[in-house]
Amino acid sequence: MQPVNQSNGKINLDPENAEHGLAQLVLTVIELLRQIVERHAIRRVEGGTLTDEQIENLGEALMNLEEKMEELKELFGLNDEDLNINLGPLGNLL
Amino acid sequence: MDRLIYLYGLIPRKEEGQQPLPPLKGFDGTDNLYTIPIGDITAVVCQLDPEKYSEESIKERVNDDMEWLQEKAFHHHETVMALSKIFTVIPLKFCTLYKNPDSLKRAVQSNRSNMLYTFDLIAGHEEWNLKMYCNDQLLKKQVSGSNPVIEAKREEISQLSKGKQFFEKKKLDKLIESQLEEEKNKISENIHLHLKELARKGDVKKAWSAAATARKEDMAWNGVYLVEKSKVERFLEQIQQYEKELRENGWQLEASGPWPAYHFSSFS
Repeated sequence: MQPVNQSNGKINLDPENAEHGLAQLVLTVIELLRQIVERHAIRRVEGGTLTDEQIENLGEALMNLEEKMEELKELFGLNDEDLNINLGPLGNLL
Repeated sequence: MDRLIYLYGLIPRKEEGQQPLPPLKGFDGTDNLYTIPIGDITAVVCQLDPEKYSEESIKERVNDDMEWLQEKAFHHHETVMALSKIFTVIPLKFCTLYKNPDSLKRAVQSNRSNMLYTFDLIAGHEEWNLKMYCNDQLLKKQVSGSNPVIEAKREEISQLSKGKQFFEKKKLDKLIESQLEEEKNKISENIHLHLKELARKGDVKKAWSAAATARKEDMAWNGVYLVEKSKVERFLEQIQQYEKELRENGWQLEASGPWPAYHFSSFS
């Protein structure tokens, strides 16, 4: 399996590597959602409205999610830069 | 219809008397450059066919014809560089055109005092640029490894339950990030202030994005300095010295020059 290693922020969809390009795209979307959820959770925790137990559960869930994401990245030979998309004047997606 | 005048740069007229203009080819590669005296200022120009080089046709080529743009921008830069080696030059921007010699004269006359001031400023000086790049990962290690506040926080976090650890670690990451930015600014600013003392003038320009520099590291600082010719060597030695001291911490310092005084002179 050829690792997809691009630092230019472009999704690779050439036919030979379509599977990888697709995995990269899907993981990019998942990573974006994961980070949104994480930021929202941090805001809730800092807001002070959650109980200790809720904080504990949320923290553990997010930690597991982060670990899972690392595993998936490794599986597909992707790194953090591959899961970012350059949106031109808007900067990077993540 | 008058032929267009392409303006490369302006020089003090008295300098033209001391040394003649060398033969340099003009923008379209046929005619040579020549000078137009305007009071105590001399304009270095070439002529262009107004039909071939109308405003629209230049705009079109700048936008669509990369090869042409590259060749002509290189020509402009090389020509201004050659002039700045011989004369005190106020360099003009790429493709500065006038309808005829009279419109050029009017523009120069209305800016005369500004230009005489600029000649005074840049005569005997060179413009140098310093770009500083920083490998964040290396500096981060240094910052987070040697900071007692961060060490204490780490110790505190390790006592917490798993779920809480997650949030506290995120907070700590943020703290390290902000410390890193602070450290980067502090180091860059110190270097800039010191170099500014060695120079006649120093300014901070916008740092370029990694996409523009095609480097992995972000540009931490982009400074431009007007340095007296006799002090250039000392100025560059100082930069080398900084580079040596900081290399281990992930810094790279890149000085370039001498440039025509694009930054320290303005003609408008």
